[in-house]
Amino acid sequence: MSTQQEVTENYANPKTCFFHVLFKASALAFYILSTLFVNNFVIIFVITVLLAALDFWVVKNVSGRILVGLRWWNEINDEGESVWKFECLDGESLARMNKKDSWLFWWTLYLAAAAWIILGIFSLIRLQADYLLVVGVCLSLSIANIIGFTKCNKDAKKNIQDWTRSALLSGSVRSHLQSAFGV
Amino acid sequence: MSPHPLHSSSGVSDMDEMAATHAHAHAHAHAARAQVVVLPSARPSSPPRASIPVSSSAYAPPQTAAAKLPFSAAVSAPTSASGSITVAIASSGLGPEPSTLTEPVWDTVKRDLARIVSNLKLVVFPNPFREDPGKALRDWDLWGPFFFIVLLGLILSWSATAKKSQVFAVAFAVLAAGAIVLTLNVLLLGGNIIFFQSLSLLGYCLFPLDVGALICMLKDSVILKMVVVTVTLAWSSWAAYPLMSAAVNPKRKALALYPVFLMYISVACLIIAID
Repeated sequence: MSTQQEVTENYANPKTCFFHVLFKASALAFYILSTLFVNNFVIIFVITVLLAALDFWVVKNVSGRILVGLRWWNEINDEGESVWKFECLDGESLARMNKKDSWLFWWTLYLAAAAWIILGIFSLIRLQADYLLVVGVCLSLSIANIIGFTKCNKDAKKNIQDWTRSALLSGSVRSHLQSAFGV
Repeated sequence: MSPHPLHSSSGVSDMDEMAATHAHAHAHAHAARAQVVVLPSARPSSPPRASIPVSSSAYAPPQTAAAKLPFSAAVSAPTSASGSITVAIASSGLGPEPSTLTEPVWDTVKRDLARIVSNLKLVVFPNPFREDPGKALRDWDLWGPFFFIVLLGLILSWSATAKKSQVFAVAFAVLAAGAIVLTLNVLLLGGNIIFFQSLSLLGYCLFPLDVGALICMLKDSVILKMVVVTVTLAWSSWAAYPLMSAAVNPKRKALALYPVFLMYISVACLIIAID
């Protein structure tokens, strides 16, 4: 039974997973291929940075909340102070998140940042300050998302623990379970 | 459960979110149904922990609505006890309170675009917050500044006859690093300014210079260039003046404002010099 379940398990949101990976891969691929074959720095810069910015927006506003149920943003309150907001679903919904979606989300987030670091080292070795500018922009966007979602994830784990504890201790859960068995 | 969203949410963006939420109630209902459809596929992913409650909620929708309340109440109580005010715990689409976590993608896009337009108006049209500069660009974003910096770099590199790459890289680096340095300058002078709000303002104030650069690219007259650049430079400086001057105390106002004007003047010189 468990083996069959493992085989039948699949991505819950394949379309979102696709777009989550698409913009990262296209930014990296375009940068690598263009630096090898094209010499126009302006075109390389503009298209790569636009793809990285688009990836940043998609991860922050779409795939983050669909794949792992997290979202983060910054706003300024009425007193003029900067407040970072980290939003996550309640514990029950988080516990139901697809594990493969979550796995893909976090791994591609880290791998993209690692790829930009490696490309940055190559630019540094070849003393290309202008291409270092491209890598710097793309890397800062990736790291911003990693920091934001890592903070979200801490709160999300706390939510799951709270939900588990309340589910175990709540008397109404027992009555609902009994009624479920009765039905 | 209800006090938490009110306490954690504030500012114009939340009003926009509420308006968007009310305007798209049907979309939320559709999203809720979609999530109900997603539930069966989500169950096999975590059989050891939530198999029994999930199955009961899936098979008996009325009991789901009933069972939801004690769970939400139990979850919210420890949160309020712990005093965590930076976390906005929002219920899922199945719950009573829709939030930005469950809104359609189109709502997110529209909200971001509306924010960019409203921020641009503060620079293009006379600033209604000149008396209270802190309110300008309170709903900050960095998409406008990013677009204007790239656009200015593109215009300058198109205008240049040689070394297009160097021109673009220098323009982008000067503007991006310049905005960061100017903001740090204000912070080091003891001003109470918010880092990203300042970056956003300095970037949006590049819009007049972008227009000036575009006009200079299309026309070759040197006198016309001087006039256009002077007008757009004055416009950018006038737009940036209120926030920067209000951020520091009056004794150090000149120290905060001089570098801002210097950056805009250097951009203006770049526009005039490149032909």
